[in-house]
Amino acid sequence: MEKLHFNFDTKDAISKPVHVGVVASGDLEVIFRPTDKQTEVNIVTGSDGFKEVWSNVLKRFFDRYPIQANIEINDFGSTPGVVNLRLTQALEELHDEK
Amino acid sequence: MKNSFVELHARERALSLLDDGTSRELVGPLDNMISPHLEPQGIVPESDDGIVLMKGKISGKNVLIISIEGKFQGGGIGEVSGAKIVAALEKALEDNRNGQTIYPIIMLDTGGVRLQEANYGLLSISEIQNAVIALKKFVPVIGIVPGRVGSFGGMSITASILSYLISTNKARIGLNGPEVIEQEAGVREFDSSDKNLIWNTLGTNQRLATGLVDEVVEDSIDDIKKSVINEINTKKDAHRTEHVDFYLSLLDQLDLTKKLDIPTYDKLYKSVKETKHEVPAATEGTKEGTKSRGRLWFEKLTGIKNATSTVSTVLHAEKDGKEYIAIVPDADNAFPRVRNGEVGLQEGYAVASVVNKIVADDKDKTTKRPIIIVDDVPSQAYGYQEELIGIHAALGSSAAAYAKARQAGHPVISFIPGDAVSGGFLAHGLQSNRLIALDDDSITIQAMSKASAARITQRTIAELEEATKHVPAMAYDIDNYEKLGALYKLVKGIGSWEATDENVAKINEIIDEAIAGLNGDTTLHFRYETPIAVASGRKATLQVRKLVAEQW
Repeated sequence: MEKLHFNFDTKDAISKPVHVGVVASGDLEVIFRPTDKQTEVNIVTGSDGFKEVWSNVLKRFFDRYPIQANIEINDFGSTPGVVNLRLTQALEELHDEK
Repeated sequence: MKNSFVELHARERALSLLDDGTSRELVGPLDNMISPHLEPQGIVPESDDGIVLMKGKISGKNVLIISIEGKFQGGGIGEVSGAKIVAALEKALEDNRNGQTIYPIIMLDTGGVRLQEANYGLLSISEIQNAVIALKKFVPVIGIVPGRVGSFGGMSITASILSYLISTNKARIGLNGPEVIEQEAGVREFDSSDKNLIWNTLGTNQRLATGLVDEVVEDSIDDIKKSVINEINTKKDAHRTEHVDFYLSLLDQLDLTKKLDIPTYDKLYKSVKETKHEVPAATEGTKEGTKSRGRLWFEKLTGIKNATSTVSTVLHAEKDGKEYIAIVPDADNAFPRVRNGEVGLQEGYAVASVVNKIVADDKDKTTKRPIIIVDDVPSQAYGYQEELIGIHAALGSSAAAYAKARQAGHPVISFIPGDAVSGGFLAHGLQSNRLIALDDDSITIQAMSKASAARITQRTIAELEEATKHVPAMAYDIDNYEKLGALYKLVKGIGSWEATDENVAKINEIIDEAIAGLNGDTTLHFRYETPIAVASGRKATLQVRKLVAEQW
């Protein structure tokens, strides 16, 4: 298990907290919370040694969607594709009016 | 597969059953109530600790759905997950008592105790069982076992206690998983690589044929919802833990000279002639029984030398107005898997029979006889025929009997001079209001042997031992157990084998003190209200209870 921490200078405020995903094998859960501080991503991952991969996946996500949020991720060995999918899903939840 | 229920995650399963727009989740992912015990062991936690609590309506009726996420740590029950279930069930009980009907529905997708939080898991599961039994006086408590994990371990004991079980053919139900049986009893007992044998034995179709589930429905949301509505409306109850005479008769008629196979068992199940069974009080014998700490203390506490009984492994007797019950080893027992004192089929049902009779005898008395459990159970029985017949229901029957006795006002006190392990402890010990243990190094108190726990959690025994140093709930000794706060008293200075007259008198005094201190308490709340529990042992439990109460 490894804990990772990243910061981003993104400024698009989000309106509500959201949660998606399950800490299943090869999967992860993602929580977005609104914040007025710097965007922060805290990751607990079961797969050690992938800091650079996480950094790349997150950078690509925030380049495209510069949301300002406090993000928590609990990951149980998901691939970058799955990570990106869940982040995008969380974003969709934000815009879901239900 | 468009409407598959099994393929859904726990939260989606709960939502899929509830009427649109009626759902409200309690202590959800955003409440940050994660397990404090996983990260110190290098395991990734989940924000809801694998339990989804949801209030809402089904077909206009108020329900509480408890949905276990089988994909997170195998749906194992730890401190936070267990406390969420217990707290929610107790709130539902309170509502029902106050005339506000709410139907609890439990979706089981669980391997049982979360081995990384072993002793918390056992405590919680016994508390879940207690709440279910109390609730059943008001409403049916419906269980759904959708699969893929199914229902195993301590939670299959819980499953047997639920009013009614709905399942799909993608689930299995058993006490011990095949891998654990293979580890404990050898590959000839149960070959865990033989998938057909596993499904034919533990699969829900076989369970349906032999009364261990009540319904196998198609894996679709609509079918499951339809069943749930029907069972709630018709107040279904299988009374599964009340078939004590049936199973004791079945065990009498079982041919123990041959290995039991499925067709033979199915035939036997259909042809059992049920007769009334009673286990008379133990009497003095001429021959010494198989030595154990449990037997030694039972004989000293009751004053019966070489105690013998018609069920050689179950001793009970009244002394000074208290009823003592012990499960003891019998080196010559016809059931090979209980020869070291394990709790097997006969033990579960015989203890249930004894306890049920005590409750019936005292039904109209204002003062109920105290029941003293003498605990020395190295585990439940690990065997193939045990699983085929459904040992989880045997253990469920004794756990239910003890819980009902306590709820009826009988003081139930556990005295632990020996081991208190796993399903054995759930069946015979953990339903007591007060736990008294000797401070002796020889006592093991846990959910699984080190070899099996290491295999199931995919660690080496060395890694497992390292983890036990950081997490008291993982440990195997009584001193670490004390740190959880569950004990009423840890008695220093008396060894497990030192049952001298003076020590026996001292233990009796402590038992009497414990009984006198109950003041009508029939709950299990004492365990998280002790100073140790409040300060450290059950901090997370208490936090969960507070949050559930606030959000209810």
